Amino acid sequence: MDMEHVWLLPAIPVVIFAVIGLFGRLLPRGGDWLAILGMGAVTVLAALAIVDFQGDNIAVWSEEWMKISDGSRVVELIEISTYVDSITVVMLTAVTIVTLMVMVYSVGYMAGDSRYGWYFALLSFFAAAMLTLVVSGNLLMLYLAWEGVGLASYLLIGFWWEKQSAAEAAKKAFITTRIGDVGLLIGIILLWRGSGSFDIQEIIHHAESGGFDQTYLTITMLFLFAGAVGKSAQFPLHVWLPDAMEGPTPVSALIHAATMVVAGVYLVARMLPVFDTVLIARDVVLYTGLITAVMAASMALVTSDIKRVLAYSTVSQLGFMFVALGVGAVTAAMFHLLTHAFFKSLLFLGSGSVIHATEEQEVEQLGGLRRKMPATTITFTIGAIALAGIVPLAGFWSKDEILVAAQEGAPAIAYITLAATAVLTAVYSTRLVLLTFWGEPKNRSVHEHAHESPPVMVIPLLILTALAVVSGFVALDGVGEALGFAGGIGEVVYEGAHGHAYALNETVAIGATIASLFGIGLGFIYWWGCAARAEAARNWAPELHALLVNRYYIDHLYQATIDRVILGLSGVVGWFDRRVINETGVDGSAQGLGYFGLRLKFLQTGRIPNYALAMAVGVIAIALVAFGTN
Amino acid sequence: MLTLFLLLPLGGAAMLAVTPNERKEEARWIALVFSSLAFAVSAVIFVRFMLELNSDAGVEGYLFIDRFAWINARDAGFDVQYFLGVDGLSAPMVLLTGLLSLVAVLISWRIELRVREYFIWLLVLETAVAGVFMSLDLIQFFLFWELELLPMYMLISIWGSGRKEYSAMKFLLFTIAGSAFMLLAFLVLGLSADSFDIEVLTANPPAETIVPLSLLFWGVMAAFLVKLPVFPVHTWLPDAHTDAPTAVSVLLAGVLLKMGGYGILRIALPVLPGEARDFRYVLAAIAAVSVVYGAVLTLRQTDLKRLVAYSSVSHMGYVLLGVATMGAVGMSGAALQMFTHGTITGLLFIMVGLVYDRTHTREIPEMSGLMHRMPVIGAVMLIAGLASLGLPALSGFVAEVTIFLGAIAEHPAATIAAVFGVVLAAGYILWAVERVFMGPPSDRWAHLDDATGWWERLAMGGMVLSIVAVGIFPRILTDAVESGIAPIAAIVGAA
Repeated sequence: MDMEHVWLLPAIPVVIFAVIGLFGRLLPRGGDWLAILGMGAVTVLAALAIVDFQGDNIAVWSEEWMKISDGSRVVELIEISTYVDSITVVMLTAVTIVTLMVMVYSVGYMAGDSRYGWYFALLSFFAAAMLTLVVSGNLLMLYLAWEGVGLASYLLIGFWWEKQSAAEAAKKAFITTRIGDVGLLIGIILLWRGSGSFDIQEIIHHAESGGFDQTYLTITMLFLFAGAVGKSAQFPLHVWLPDAMEGPTPVSALIHAATMVVAGVYLVARMLPVFDTVLIARDVVLYTGLITAVMAASMALVTSDIKRVLAYSTVSQLGFMFVALGVGAVTAAMFHLLTHAFFKSLLFLGSGSVIHATEEQEVEQLGGLRRKMPATTITFTIGAIALAGIVPLAGFWSKDEILVAAQEGAPAIAYITLAATAVLTAVYSTRLVLLTFWGEPKNRSVHEHAHESPPVMVIPLLILTALAVVSGFVALDGVGEALGFAGGIGEVVYEGAHGHAYALNETVAIGATIASLFGIGLGFIYWWGCAARAEAARNWAPELHALLVNRYYIDHLYQATIDRVILGLSGVVGWFDRRVINETGVDGSAQGLGYFGLRLKFLQTGRIPNYALAMAVGVIAIALVAFGTN
Repeated sequence: MLTLFLLLPLGGAAMLAVTPNERKEEARWIALVFSSLAFAVSAVIFVRFMLELNSDAGVEGYLFIDRFAWINARDAGFDVQYFLGVDGLSAPMVLLTGLLSLVAVLISWRIELRVREYFIWLLVLETAVAGVFMSLDLIQFFLFWELELLPMYMLISIWGSGRKEYSAMKFLLFTIAGSAFMLLAFLVLGLSADSFDIEVLTANPPAETIVPLSLLFWGVMAAFLVKLPVFPVHTWLPDAHTDAPTAVSVLLAGVLLKMGGYGILRIALPVLPGEARDFRYVLAAIAAVSVVYGAVLTLRQTDLKRLVAYSSVSHMGYVLLGVATMGAVGMSGAALQMFTHGTITGLLFIMVGLVYDRTHTREIPEMSGLMHRMPVIGAVMLIAGLASLGLPALSGFVAEVTIFLGAIAEHPAATIAAVFGVVLAAGYILWAVERVFMGPPSDRWAHLDDATGWWERLAMGGMVLSIVAVGIFPRILTDAVESGIAPIAAIVGAA
């Protein structure tokens, strides 16, 4: 497909959204087949585009969206445009494949839901917004799509809005990310003010040629990064993602693991040449990612909800990607984004298979499912090994790239923290697999009616499993050459002069493997068989356990801030508005006038002597004043 | 053309005046026919304006001029004309007036109390508001400005609810207090310049009058800021909205508030450009306070209608922020915001009215899970809410982002404060939607119906369409606004 027609990719699903949204009730099966066919077409078109892609950065299409002139001079011109480069290609690959898999899987998972058609309409809407996001060539169009995926996320988290918790989670997700989005909008406005353009390449050019004031640009990029922090659920705006698990599980796999939440990573990767000119801002990216990675992994250790474990894991892995970006390693970040999209959506869909079969998502109630759900067990386990980073699965290669980048480009603390997080990752992955699929069933009635999921759900699991196994190989020269990009992903995905062929750093690779194996070993020690050791570990440091279970009290802090500070302020302002401004200022002055009128009317006595007296006093007063001024 | 638009609602009112009282259905249809005709005329005006604008000649000055000498007292320096015309600033406002008046008639279909009189006042109101947007003579402008008070007072105090007499009187007194200053300022301006013609005054702003120009500026602004309204002269608005019938709230938020912003752009800025520039920081400060103050207040409202009303205070602050930039982009944003807020908040008030018609309560804590019974109302409410919180691809975003872009250089602090108002907007809108529409179904509301009347669906559909269309193709609006703002920006920029 020609790159000029890349706008077709989002156009197809948006039309399908409109068709299903308006006429879904008239279509057989609510129109799910239409959504899947459309997404299939998009996937094929994207594949053709990717094959055609020559490694060039091409701005392909633009259209005037609005303009405002000041007499003869055009002072504001907003164009919408598409732009494709290697980063876009990586995103297209991840987005189209995972979306298609999730749609197929949803046919089984969502079967019988009362809003089945609407669900597929929303998935199509999401796909349209996400594809717009990745092909947009300017920041305003990106922002438009950014809010679009946020809306899709809101509607899908709250898909079962009759559940109070789902409605609240949807609202929380939207408002939390909106705090970041406002930062992004301010950042975009400030970039426009400094460079006079919304076009990403023009802004990058302006920054690289030193067109911005350094302090100004640092502040601007921090505002911009706030948007990434919100969308990619990084500390301190990570709180919405675990709650977002209230949505249907395929949605969690698609939006809250593989695609939308990586939009922040994509944004920073896209703008990395600008971040490269203000290193303070890049360091903020690095340390935000680092804190988030270790913090989220630690919370995943103690969480008992299978989906929430995966949510924390996602937050943690996104932290890894930001660390890579923080040291300027765009290749490593995009590579990990790609592999993570596959193995994490696999894990989420696997957990969905478990939930579908058992209607239970607390690991304390599961266990022993391996006999009843062999396909799910095997695929989920492979996904977990990929996540833990064991060679030769996908996670190993991309995590290794990030570790190498951190070792080379950042203070030692970053590398050490990441390595420790890698241990934690292996521990919680092992724990999750053991508690869910191994051991003895903890709840008989749950276990009784468990069954393997239908083929329509298992086949996407198998495909994603294959990708979780092999997608790491795109780093290798030979594989890259076979697929049409000589030198592997490292030679293709880069900005400026950073391109390099993949080379295994033995020290780092061996160290990381030892760390992962160590973590898996720990997992087995504590959660294999009886629960006594895990119990003992919990009692060893109850305060630490409470801290983790309560999510570092961050949610409590935010809730208290909203309740006490913001709503308190609202109450105070409300009191001020009603009592001071309205009753005193407005009603008071009205009553005051009435009161004066009541008093003053007694002056109108109608008796001539009174008026004569007043007149005389007045004349004398005027006379005195007149004499005084002379 | 413009005179025709003014006469149509009056004609409808006259016809209603001779209709017997008990023929309620006929009265409704008369009102509908005449307001539809007026809307059609407003649409023709807008489309013809756009065609003219896109022609090679472009648009210079005003179009569709209707003009004749009215009070000929040239010797006394009191020369008043009947002078109508529209440009890129007023054409969208005329269209908005036509659209919202039609919608107001539609959603009043179920009014049963004194139907005939109700529609008479509604139609008179339409003429008065449209007259404000078309008048190019200060005295004529003032007359239309005051004419709008009478029907509003009647509509709120007779067909309202709650403390309706109090609210109607408060509305009246606030407006009159503001317009008294405006009239004085107009007289001084007109007599010193020997003309009340806005075109003349704009071309040659008076350099000196018997009172300081800054006093004149604030005299004119007094009326406009009250009408907009901004902190601290906003308290009439929540009361008037809460106690007014739905259709009146729609018109009040949709077009009446815009008279304030329109007046600033049409009269205060081009006639007193130097003073406007001098006070731009004061205006920006008032704007930022209004945005945040209004939004913070909105968070805690438990009355759904009052919630929307307070959000209007916040959103009108954006208009003032755009104006305070004194630049083409910001002022265009302000004009856009006037139009988009008109459709968005108008729609919000319609939805609140539809909910109230069914539940007979506006207290948010009493409602829950209404989506089960009324999915269409809930969905449209959500669309309106998302537009109100500035979601891209809906019209509110176009206006807000234009204002922010225009204001960032001149008023960075006020702009950033105003952008954060958007977070609060997400908070109060989504929280309200969650509490009212989501959650488990409740027995209390199990008997409610969705919006099934054709009049309701037509009203909602039209409004949603206008919001989405402008959001996706902003140029259908921005090109007009741009052409209207450019000369004003040039005048203010030169001062």
